Amino acid sequence: MVCLGERGVCLEKEVFPVKFAVVEKVLDLARANSIWPMTFGLACCAIEMMSTAMSRFDLDRFGAGVFRATPRQADLMIVSGTVTKKMAPVLVTLYEQMPSPKWVLAMGNCAISGGPFVFEGQYNVIEGVDLLVPVDVYVPGCPPRPEALLEGFLKLEEKITGKRRFPGPESRW
Amino acid sequence: MEQIGNMIGWETVKMVVGLVGVLVFVVLNALILTWAERKVAGHMQRRIGPKEVGPYGLIQPIADALKLLGKEILTPREVDKPLYYLAPMIIFVPVLVSFVVIPFDASLQVMDINVGILVILAFSSLSVFSILMAGWGSNNKYALIGAIRSIAQNIAYEIPLLLALLPIIMMTNSFSLKSIVEAQHGLWFVVYQPFAFLIYFIAGVAETNRTPFDLPEAESELVAGYHTEYSGMRFALFFLAEYTNIFIVSAIAVTFFLGGYQGPFLPGIIWFLLKSYLLVFVIMWLRWTYPRVRFDQLLNISWKALIPLSFINLLITGGLLKL
Amino acid sequence: MVERIKAELGATLKETPVGEADYRERGYHLFAEVASADLLNVARFFDERGFYLAALICVDYKEYLELVYIFSNHASLCKVKITLKIDPAKPVAPTISTVFDCAYWHEREIREFFGVSFDGHPNMTYLFLHEGIDFYPLRKEKIPVSDEDKKALGAFRPGEGEDTFFVNLGPQHPSTHGVLRVVLKMDGEYIQSADPVLGYLHRMHEKMAENRSYLQFLPNTGRMDYLGPMAFNLGYVTAVERLCGIPVPDRANYVRVILTELNRLSSHLMWLGAYLADLGALTPFLFVFDDREEINDILEPVTGSRLTYCYFRFGGLYNDVDDAFVAGTRAFIERLRSRFSLYEKLVGGNVIFTNRTRGIGVITKERARKQAVSGPVLRGAGIPMDIRKSEPCAAYGEMDFDVPVGTRGDALDMYQVRIREMENALNIIEQALARLPEGPIMTEKAPRKLKPPKGDLYHTVETPRGELGIYIVSDESDKPYRMKWRVPSFSNLMIFPELAKGNLLADAVAILGSLDLVIPEIDR
Repeated sequence: MVCLGERGVCLEKEVFPVKFAVVEKVLDLARANSIWPMTFGLACCAIEMMSTAMSRFDLDRFGAGVFRATPRQADLMIVSGTVTKKMAPVLVTLYEQMPSPKWVLAMGNCAISGGPFVFEGQYNVIEGVDLLVPVDVYVPGCPPRPEALLEGFLKLEEKITGKRRFPGPESRW
Repeated sequence: MEQIGNMIGWETVKMVVGLVGVLVFVVLNALILTWAERKVAGHMQRRIGPKEVGPYGLIQPIADALKLLGKEILTPREVDKPLYYLAPMIIFVPVLVSFVVIPFDASLQVMDINVGILVILAFSSLSVFSILMAGWGSNNKYALIGAIRSIAQNIAYEIPLLLALLPIIMMTNSFSLKSIVEAQHGLWFVVYQPFAFLIYFIAGVAETNRTPFDLPEAESELVAGYHTEYSGMRFALFFLAEYTNIFIVSAIAVTFFLGGYQGPFLPGIIWFLLKSYLLVFVIMWLRWTYPRVRFDQLLNISWKALIPLSFINLLITGGLLKL
Repeated sequence: MVERIKAELGATLKETPVGEADYRERGYHLFAEVASADLLNVARFFDERGFYLAALICVDYKEYLELVYIFSNHASLCKVKITLKIDPAKPVAPTISTVFDCAYWHEREIREFFGVSFDGHPNMTYLFLHEGIDFYPLRKEKIPVSDEDKKALGAFRPGEGEDTFFVNLGPQHPSTHGVLRVVLKMDGEYIQSADPVLGYLHRMHEKMAENRSYLQFLPNTGRMDYLGPMAFNLGYVTAVERLCGIPVPDRANYVRVILTELNRLSSHLMWLGAYLADLGALTPFLFVFDDREEINDILEPVTGSRLTYCYFRFGGLYNDVDDAFVAGTRAFIERLRSRFSLYEKLVGGNVIFTNRTRGIGVITKERARKQAVSGPVLRGAGIPMDIRKSEPCAAYGEMDFDVPVGTRGDALDMYQVRIREMENALNIIEQALARLPEGPIMTEKAPRKLKPPKGDLYHTVETPRGELGIYIVSDESDKPYRMKWRVPSFSNLMIFPELAKGNLLADAVAILGSLDLVIPEIDR
């Protein structure tokens, strides 16, 4: 079975006996090098996301500097901040408006699992954005440092292309 | 080759080759300008722009283009289909027609029409149709507001654009772009008509919807203006048309005021491209320096300042030419 | 002033006595308990004397609900607490939004959180919560929302008129305001009415405060206002210290002042960048982030975080500052002074910017008082009130700085006031650094388990956005019984609908930017 793109067409081998390997690789490389995030800053993590896009940490080096405001022209939704029950339908609507292939990066503890706002008797926080939309990369922290967000970004590129751009930190245990 | 040439006629062959060249140039120009914009923006903001994607980020526009090609072609359900589909295609028509008559070099002009500038001005007012179709057909309030603002702005700024070019036409007695360039053999027209140059430049920046006149695409108010609902390749076409428009505005300014392809030592086309890209750089510089002008102030600038000034300029030129 | 008000108030409320409270322990000078029928008279009394409604709080003591009104004065320090007891079975109270406009939203909030309905209130619909929550969150027991309450609360449905249409500004904003949604009713390009819808980031801070001990709640304060967390930290820590009577060593006080002023600089710089990004100039945004990164470089070795600081502790600090910090701060002050000329040329002298902001969103002194705006917005409108001068905490009393005041009350004045506040902040930091005493940073008398004495306290602090008021009711346990945060952005946003009416959409964005809102502190 061959799949074109992340949510694209899945073709059975018997029906369509053409292999798309090279085209798929080139397209994946292009997609990984030109990810356009959508401005979806909800809370404190949004400021760290903006810091990542600014002069010192510069997300534009990797081709991701064009933050589009409309979901129709964006590839990546960086959910930075707490998702509340009132905001949840908005988030899902925006996710569905994005054309495939699209990715979601959950930034910060609140987007991963509700963060510091989960307590007994809580009534408004959704404990993790992966209860609403499928998440590709999780970046923990409260808020995560810009370097952590860049690492999450590089992990997303690795997920798309299969190869890492820079060598990752060596694991020593 | 000889037989084809004799059958069809050399003129036709030359024209076809020229058109293909124009198309190639439009695509290359868009690629270069998207890269240049991000680099210029980056350096003005104390950072470097795209760097990892190829040396100096030169492959970045190709990555962008391939990504946009591979996007899902999405048509929202409630759009007005004929208008929605046609708008990105029609926006290219005035752009390509304008390229046909611009002289890149003494012998590099697809066709030297004797009413060259009129063709350009007439077709550039057609771009208003495409914006209106995009805004209305998207069935989206923000797109509609953006389209309405853009149309008002375009109509308001076409008049000073034309009025600023008229003195040059009066001085050279011809509409053909080639003869205007040839007439600048001694001294460039910018020395004779500095005000006309400024008025033309400001009106040109407003025509291309660039900051400080980019209220139709105001990100902080209107999400993305008239191309809010376009995704993938259709959005890429709008994007390309905007950058090509910027180049055309600069190219016409160079042709009319800065001597076109004339210059010592280097071949004409290099001078032409150098001068045009210098003006493009100035337009980009303006974008990253100034905030946006509010809409009524924008229209006021055109109707109350630029048009009277260009009229006065025209009268003075006419008077001086008579004497 | 306090004596005069006491005498006059006593004359107005003939039966109920007006008590005097120890200002140092309670945060207010006078208190009185009134009956429902007298409430409107009392409100008018304070309105005539030029007071403003600082806070409107509801506390659920299980046998009764108590509404607490805190009136305060711009000109001289006099705070009066008026309380009203309500029967929990049938909670009804008269509205004072006819006299003080700012009560309009406070009462809506109390309605949805406590179930108290206000007679005569024009619009009792959901402000923060939504239909999915079917109990009153801040009541001590789980009381379900009755059906007619639900219908009344959920009645906000923007419809379509003939020549008008509705445009949503948000909740997903390209600018940095956060998740604020404003429903604008437009006629062409002109705004007929603007209705903010809040609650997209309601993170239940006040309910968490009742479930956490005082020390466990400290990280929450940094997340309420993520641009000025030091000021929120300072307010909370000084409030609890005041409630428990914990002394703070001098060195800690000076370091608190330095860090809070550095944070004020950081917040105002961010406002500058965001405001210009709203107006279309994207480059200053990047420049201010450079300056903010420098501030982060100084603060990170000391506090441990870049954004949501949690550095002050009850009784002092948890980490001392060293010489590298002092040297770094001095170098930073030099650098920022030279950057101010850059910002002046790029922004202040820019004719497009001046045309976009002059005469836009003019706030008169009377409207500022009735809507209880505070901070740079109040000073831009012409009222020279700064809580750092009138009620100094930490070492602000020994610092020498002036209070910048605007003349016209428009957006350009807000800009000028904030620029001058930044310069003042640099001066304050220099003075504090010069006078930084040696000594311990943490007092030895801080108890391990903090159990404040019974009582309530209303403590105010000047954050970069305005007056932050913290009202703590303690019942001698280690968790607060009720903690209410009166945040400046909430009150500043209340003036936006009347400023936006009749203006263009572009102007509305400029006005919203000049108010300097941070949404998580509004939504709490």
